[in-house]
Amino acid sequence: MAARAASGAVSRRLWQGLGNLSTSNSKSSTTKNAVFLLSTGVKWAQFSHLHIDFPKEVTKPAITVSDEPDTLYKRLSILVKAHDKAVLDSYEFFAVLAAKELGISIKVHEPPRKIERLTLLKSVHIFKKHRVQYEMRTLYRCLELERLTGCTANVYLEYIQRNLPEGVAMEVTKTQLQPLPEHIREPIWEKEVKDKEESKA
Amino acid sequence: KTNPADPRGSGGSARACSPPCRRCRFSPVSYEEAHAPHYIAHRKGWLSAHTGNLDGEAHAAERTVEDVFLRKFMLGTFPGCLADHVVLKRRANQLDICALVLRQLPAHKFYFLVGYSETLLSHFYKCPVRLHLQTVPAKVVYKYL
Repeated sequence: MAARAASGAVSRRLWQGLGNLSTSNSKSSTTKNAVFLLSTGVKWAQFSHLHIDFPKEVTKPAITVSDEPDTLYKRLSILVKAHDKAVLDSYEFFAVLAAKELGISIKVHEPPRKIERLTLLKSVHIFKKHRVQYEMRTLYRCLELERLTGCTANVYLEYIQRNLPEGVAMEVTKTQLQPLPEHIREPIWEKEVKDKEESKA
Repeated sequence: KTNPADPRGSGGSARACSPPCRRCRFSPVSYEEAHAPHYIAHRKGWLSAHTGNLDGEAHAAERTVEDVFLRKFMLGTFPGCLADHVVLKRRANQLDICALVLRQLPAHKFYFLVGYSETLLSHFYKCPVRLHLQTVPAKVVYKYL
């Protein structure tokens, strides 16, 4: 009796120390020990923070509905830069696949690479005739998406940018479609002719 | 797998022939060290991946200084345990340090060192730093020189 109470008290204290665990209050001491061991095992793994990412509770953003018309993009030009051609090839495959899944028309072309070269002295002191040459190669890939809405563009860009590999840079150029402002919808000379006609009449 | 020509293990004489022929060479060298810098992008990869050196991008010097500090830090935190050069990857704000480690220390010491270095570096660089270790029984030797 006393032993069971003591073990119960110990395990309860440990549970309080470890955190809230929804474990049923088992009656026999053997099952209590089993639960205690299981709880310590799980909690130990959680505390070690090694390659185990428990996703934190993130509230998903609610779908927003607004009366304002969505922005329209004529063209979305994404320039991807990297040092490694293989990385660019695989990223292009991934981006094209994502665009096709969303139903966006996409075209890919490869702008020519740029090489920046430096010639430095090989030695710390004298030996002017002996130099070392370094170069930095930047390879490009241009993805052009046509006829997008703002929401699609935001979703696609967020997905692409979250999965950008290390050592790869991206530049995005958006070309937006806007309605013509009211004061230049009609030519001024037509408006003047209309005013003259109205004043005469 | 040790080299049978290594005189340190057997206690034999230093070098049978000079310069040592192919079977008498005994200084081990990894794949990374065996290849010269002109093989980068052909036979070698990059040890540090960031966008500073790309055309039209900035802060290359800051990344280089950080790299130097991180490599020194890793060398000091895992004494005699690093099997190969440390690989650094930067993605957005995060910094991933990938290291090949020898099984010199007991596991609980490794866990402590991982947690310690992650927290310390995160607070120092004000960005999430993650350490990925892979243990290896011995240094992976590409060839003997």
